[in-house]
Amino acid sequence: MSELTRSLNAFRPELALLVGLLLVVLADTFAGRGRQLATRLITVLSLTAAFGFAIELQAAGTRAPLFSGMLVIDPLGAALKLILVAAGLVTVLAFSFRNSRELAGLGHGELHTLVLALVFSCLLLAAASDVVMLYLALEMVSITSYVMVGYLKGDRLSNEASLKYILFGAASTGSMLYGLSLLYGLAGTTSLRGIQEYLAGGIPDANRFAVYAVTLLVLAGFGFKIAAVPFHFWCPDVYQGAPTPVTALLSVLPKAAGLAIALRFFYGAFSIPERGPWDLVGSIDWSALVMLVSVLTMTLGNVAALTQTNMKRLLAYSSIAHAGFLLMGIVALSENGARGLIVYLAAYLVMNLGAFLVVTLVHLHDGSFDLRDYPGLYRRAPLLTLAMAFFLLSLVGIPPFVGFLAKLYVFSAVIEQGQGVYATIAAVNAAVAAYYYFKILRVMIIDPGNEAKPALELELVDQLRLAALALANLAPLFFWDWIEGWARGALVLYAGR
Amino acid sequence: MIGLQHYLVLSAGLFALGVLGLLTRRNAVNVLMSIELILNSANINLVAFSRYASGNLGGQVFAVFVIVVAAAEVAVALAIVLTLYRLRRTPNLDDASILKG
Amino acid sequence: MSGEALVFWIFAGLTLGSAFVVVLSRTLIYSAFALLVTFFGVAGLYVLLGADFLAATQILVYVGGILVLLLFGVMLTHRIYDLDLRSETTQLGSGLIVAAGLFVVLSAVALKTEWPNLARLPAPTTAPIGRLFLREYLLPFEAASVLLLVALMGAAMIVRRRRTA
Repeated sequence: MSELTRSLNAFRPELALLVGLLLVVLADTFAGRGRQLATRLITVLSLTAAFGFAIELQAAGTRAPLFSGMLVIDPLGAALKLILVAAGLVTVLAFSFRNSRELAGLGHGELHTLVLALVFSCLLLAAASDVVMLYLALEMVSITSYVMVGYLKGDRLSNEASLKYILFGAASTGSMLYGLSLLYGLAGTTSLRGIQEYLAGGIPDANRFAVYAVTLLVLAGFGFKIAAVPFHFWCPDVYQGAPTPVTALLSVLPKAAGLAIALRFFYGAFSIPERGPWDLVGSIDWSALVMLVSVLTMTLGNVAALTQTNMKRLLAYSSIAHAGFLLMGIVALSENGARGLIVYLAAYLVMNLGAFLVVTLVHLHDGSFDLRDYPGLYRRAPLLTLAMAFFLLSLVGIPPFVGFLAKLYVFSAVIEQGQGVYATIAAVNAAVAAYYYFKILRVMIIDPGNEAKPALELELVDQLRLAALALANLAPLFFWDWIEGWARGALVLYAGR
Repeated sequence: MIGLQHYLVLSAGLFALGVLGLLTRRNAVNVLMSIELILNSANINLVAFSRYASGNLGGQVFAVFVIVVAAAEVAVALAIVLTLYRLRRTPNLDDASILKG
Repeated sequence: MSGEALVFWIFAGLTLGSAFVVVLSRTLIYSAFALLVTFFGVAGLYVLLGADFLAATQILVYVGGILVLLLFGVMLTHRIYDLDLRSETTQLGSGLIVAAGLFVVLSAVALKTEWPNLARLPAPTTAPIGRLFLREYLLPFEAASVLLLVALMGAAMIVRRRRTA
C-alpha cells in the first residue's frame, strides 16, 4: 500500500492531467453556453498544474521505480516530462479556435480532451520501464494521434492522411510488438531492469542473432513515432492533412516521447550507464545502426524540403530532418549526448511551434499555405515576419538563438565521442537546411508580389503569442547559466533500483 | 513432443503472412486484417514463452493488453475507413493517392 | 502421435490455412470469415498452452468484438445491390519474396536461439492474472481505461455525421 502511495505522490503531473481530462468531459457535457471557455480554461489550468508538479519533481531529484517497476522517476525523466508538458501548454496557449481556420466548427471539448490524453500518454511513455507499459503507452500516444488527425472529417485530404497514418502506424507497432515478445522470451521478464540484467550478464552467441532481430523490430516502432527513415512516409501527408495546431502538437509531443523512450530503452536496457560511461559490454553495438538511421533521416528530410512549396509539408520534412539531429544525442553514447537531446528538444519546441504559428496566422488572414503566396509579408505584417525570422534563424542554428545552442550541445557530444565523420555529415546537412530556411525568409522579405494586398491585421493576443515565442528563442542570451544548470542537473538516468 | 519451437515457427509463419497481406492488399479493411494477423502472431509468442520459457504469467498479461489495444485500434481504423468510403466511395488504398509521398 | 501433438497440428493447420485465405482471397467476405477461423485457431492454441483466461478473452474480444466490427466494415463499404466484394492484390511476387524472407529469418531466430527453460505447467490462470492486474500491472490496467475512452470518443467523433456548423 505504501508503495502505491509513494508512487502516486510522484505521479502528480499525470494525475493533474487525468483530473483535467475528466473535468473537460464533464464540462463539455454540462456547461451549456459556457462550454468553450470552460473547456479551454480547465485544459490550461490542468496543464499548468502539471507543469508545476513537473518542476517540483525535477527539483526533488528522486530516482526510484514507481508502480512496481512500471514507471521510473529520475532527473532525466523529469526534465523530459517538463518539456512534454510545456509543449502541450504552449500549443494550447498559442493556438485557439480563433486563430486557426482549420479548427472552425469542431468540438472544443473533444479536442481538449484529446490534447490532455495525448500529453498524459506521452508522460507515461517517457517514464516507462516495463515492456507492457511501453507498448501500452506507445499505442496510447499513437491512437490519440490517429484520432486527432482524423478530426477534420469532412476533408478528404485529412481523412486519407489519417488512414495512411493509422495503417502504417499499426503495422510498425505490430512489428515492434513481435520484437518485444522475443525480448520477453529471451529475458523471461517484462521489466526493462530485468532485461538489462539479462543482457549485461552476457549473451550466448547463439542468442546474438535474436537480439539483433529484436533491435531491428523495436526500431520499427520507435522510428515510426519519431518519423525517422525509413518509417517516415506518413509524416508529410499527415502534417499537411491535419489541422495546423494538431500538426504543431504532433511535431513535438510524440517525437519527444518517442525519443525519450528510445533513450530509456537503449540506454537503460541495452547498455549499462552505471558501469562508467554507457557501457555496452555484454550487449550489442546498436549505436552504429542508430547513426545510420540518423544520417538517412536528416539527409532525406533536408533534401525533400528543398523543393516544397506547401509550408506545412516543408515544415514536415524539416521536422523529419530535425529528428535526425535529435538522434545525434542518442548516438553519442554519453551523458553529454543525453543532455544535448534535452536541450535540443526544448529548443525544437519553441522553434517549431513558432514556425507553425506563423503559418497558421498567414492561413487565417490569407487563406493559403503556399510559399508562393508569401512574398510581401514583410511589408504587410512586419511583426510576423520578424518573428518568423527569429524562428527560422533558430531552426538553422545561428547564434544567438536557442537553435544554435541545441546544435552546439549535440555536435559537441558527438565530436567528444570521436565520431568526426558523423559530425561532418550533420554539419553539411545543417548547411543544406539553411538554404530552404533562408529561402522562406527571402520570399517573405525581398520577393516582389502581393503589393495590392492590405496589411495583415493581427489581433493583439496573436501579436503577444508571436512575441513570446520569438523571445523564447532568444533564451540563451538571457538565461545561459540557468539552462546550463538545468541541463546538467538532468543528467541522471535511473537504470535500476 | 510439441515444444516451444513449434509455436515460434508457427507464429513466424503467421507474422510473415500478415506482412504479405500488408504489402499486397489494396483494400484498407484487408490491410487491417493483416495487421491483426501480426498482432496475433506476437501474442502466440508471448503465451508460448510464458508456458515454456519464462515460468511466469507476464507474457499472458502482456497478451491481454495487446488484445485491448487491438480492439481500440480497429475501432478507430474502421471509423476512418468508413468516413473515407463516404467521401470517396472506395476503401481502396491506391485511390487514396491525392497526397503523394 | 500423442494427443497433444495431434491437437496442436489441427489448430496450427487451421490457423495458418485460414491465414492464407485471409491474405490471398479475392473476395473480401471470404477473408473476413477466414479470419474468424484464424482467431478460433489461435484460441485453441492458447488452451493448449494452458492460457485459459486468454483463450476466453480471445473469443470474446477478438471474435465477438473485433471481427464483428470488421464485418460491419466490410458490409458498410460495399454497395449492397451490386455486391462488389472483390479485393485486389498487387505486386504479389515481391511481397511473397519479402514475406518468405521474413519467415526464414524469424524461424532461424526461433530455432537457433537457446531459450530459457522455465516451464510453467498449465494451471488455472484467471485468478493469478487478476492478482497481477491489481498489483504489479496496476498502472497499465488503469491507464488502459484512458485508452478506451479516447478510442470510444474518437471513433464516435470521426464517424458521426457533422452537424452543419
